[in-house]
Amino acid sequence: MTGWIGLLARLVTGGVWLVAGALKVTDPAGSVRAVRAYDLLPEALVQPVGYLLPALEILVGLLLLLGLLTRPAAVVSAVLFVAFIAGIGSAWSRGLQIDCGCFGGGGFDENAADDYPWEIARDVGLLALSVWLIARPRTRWSLDSVLFRRTA
Amino acid sequence: MSKKAAQRSRAERAASVMAEQAARERRRNLTITAAVVGVVIVVLVVAFLASQAGDTSGDAAEAPNGVDGYAVPVGADDAPTTLTIFEDPQCPICRDFEDAVGDQLATAIEAGEVRVEYRIVSFLDDASPNEYSSRAANALMAVQDSAGPEAFAALHTTLFANQPEEGTEGPDDEQLVAWAVEAGATESDVRPLIEDGAFDQFVVNATDQMSRDGVTGTPTVLIDGEPAGDTPAATVQAVLELLA
Repeated sequence: MTGWIGLLARLVTGGVWLVAGALKVTDPAGSVRAVRAYDLLPEALVQPVGYLLPALEILVGLLLLLGLLTRPAAVVSAVLFVAFIAGIGSAWSRGLQIDCGCFGGGGFDENAADDYPWEIARDVGLLALSVWLIARPRTRWSLDSVLFRRTA
Repeated sequence: MSKKAAQRSRAERAASVMAEQAARERRRNLTITAAVVGVVIVVLVVAFLASQAGDTSGDAAEAPNGVDGYAVPVGADDAPTTLTIFEDPQCPICRDFEDAVGDQLATAIEAGEVRVEYRIVSFLDDASPNEYSSRAANALMAVQDSAGPEAFAALHTTLFANQPEEGTEGPDDEQLVAWAVEAGATESDVRPLIEDGAFDQFVVNATDQMSRDGVTGTPTVLIDGEPAGDTPAATVQAVLELLA
């Protein structure tokens, strides 16, 4: 049963990461602007993070969907969700009106403040699924279970 | 050999076979893990380099005549108040802003009461299948370059009055040329600038500079350098109060 829950957790978090990354990866300049809009990172880190984040999201998404290196992928996933929750929370507390840039876009958004609670709730849910996978990385229909099969 | 000794040696042999098997398994698992991690790192490096190459922000660009940095100044130099307005031609809230204050603003500019520095940017190309946002921004710069700020202001008004819905095909280059000529540009001058996207890179750089200036979206309006309002409604109200 836990294996099936794990499969569901993998598909949901992995799917979200894949879509989120794919929507951003074609617009590096926009990704950089979305990172800068949070006004949290020093300027020297804004570009590297803006360039790497979409690709990292796609990779984590693929690994989770395939069930390959599930535990390390879930650790990265959880770390990213913690960072995003902190970032959105920080923007909210500072009164910034920015689109979270979660699925592309980013920057000013008229109704941004209304979306913050829902965005944080969504990320907390996905964080919980990631933590589940860290605790129970053996899941159904995973490449891990094929590649790392016990032969003795 | 006693029966007992034979049993022991068989157990030992079995244990050693199993230990060997376990060691082989560990090596195999390590190899697979290292291979996947290696692929992940290579993909990240390639993605980083591709993103860096794909982001042309800051590349050398030709600036239109008469711009001040990235600002198109419209109105008298000695006007007592300067408004800085960041706009994307495809941005619906910018159109709402223009609907609400455009006429009063034009009157105030005419009277020499206000000078407006338009910071035209483009990040909404995804909103139309024919990249209206960047083409319209380029057309505005083309008109500024070839015919000056009054023609720029006229085309600016026309573009916001005819803004395409997000998700629909925007006006094509032919239409932009026609509007540019109506605004006061000479067709033979402005057509190649519009069709060749002569100021595309300038607009990319203007958009990057907006972000670096801490402006996170459009419309953003500064009154003598200070943000006019936190929300679009507050911005409209502040500008209308200024012009009243």
